[in-house]
Amino acid sequence: MAKISRPKDRDVAIPEGSTADIAFLLLLFFMVTTVFVQEKQFWVARDRWPKAQSIERIPRNNTATIYVMKNETILIDDVPSKIESEEDVYVRNALVAKKAENPEIIICFRTDRETKYGAMSDVMRQLQDAETLVVAFEAQKRD
Amino acid sequence: MKISRKRKGGVSIPTASTGDIAFLLIIFFMSTTKFDVKEGIKLVLPAMAPDSAEGKAETIQLGEDKMTRLQILEDGSIILNKEAARRIEDAELDAIIQQKLRVNQDMIFRVITDRNAQYNDMIRVVDRLKAQNAEKISLSTN
Repeated sequence: MAKISRPKDRDVAIPEGSTADIAFLLLLFFMVTTVFVQEKQFWVARDRWPKAQSIERIPRNNTATIYVMKNETILIDDVPSKIESEEDVYVRNALVAKKAENPEIIICFRTDRETKYGAMSDVMRQLQDAETLVVAFEAQKRD
Repeated sequence: MKISRKRKGGVSIPTASTGDIAFLLIIFFMSTTKFDVKEGIKLVLPAMAPDSAEGKAETIQLGEDKMTRLQILEDGSIILNKEAARRIEDAELDAIIQQKLRVNQDMIFRVITDRNAQYNDMIRVVDRLKAQNAEKISLSTN
């Protein structure tokens, strides 16, 4: 009778020589994709935004933020301004410059929910003058 | 006296912990990274009408079968077309919008908000319109 040889137990090991390389690749990914938000101050706190159900996600890279505070102060790039007459065109000029930099720009409003609509209306009129027509009203997700 | 010269030892930087350091850094970046995506109600404003004095502006009259007018007053009450002003809760507003869309899928909803009304009231109406898949929303600037 032929003798059946038993296969020898092999040493099984997971190669871990490249673990550090993989770790560094992951590290590079996170370092490249991390964005440190450079806003100096959060002028309208998130809990002061209106609540809405049908909100969409808007990628940040094509956006410019306009804060409209309850006292009708408007902030673009942390510079405060007010629209009290038709000669106050700071907002329009700032938006024209932003539109020239990025024609696909989306204007995001971070507005206190108790702000009077008149202030928003004035800003939107200047948006129309600057031909920046795509807007997003930032809101908290309503349950 | 003979001064014995120190033997030169093999100099090397220990690299055994490189992987551990890298993983610690990854954990740091993973926990601090925030993919900053904004969330809000997106709308396209109408373009400014050409100056009517130049004769370029064209006025079109739209009937109630094509356009629904939602006028938000200072106290948050709403005038729907020519009805009397009243407070309309979300559920009723949804039902009205659905009914209007059943009549005409391309219904234009014109939201006119009083300058002294709260921004929140305008957002509430626009949100209900968006939630009911109304596509043609016009915001007035007055």
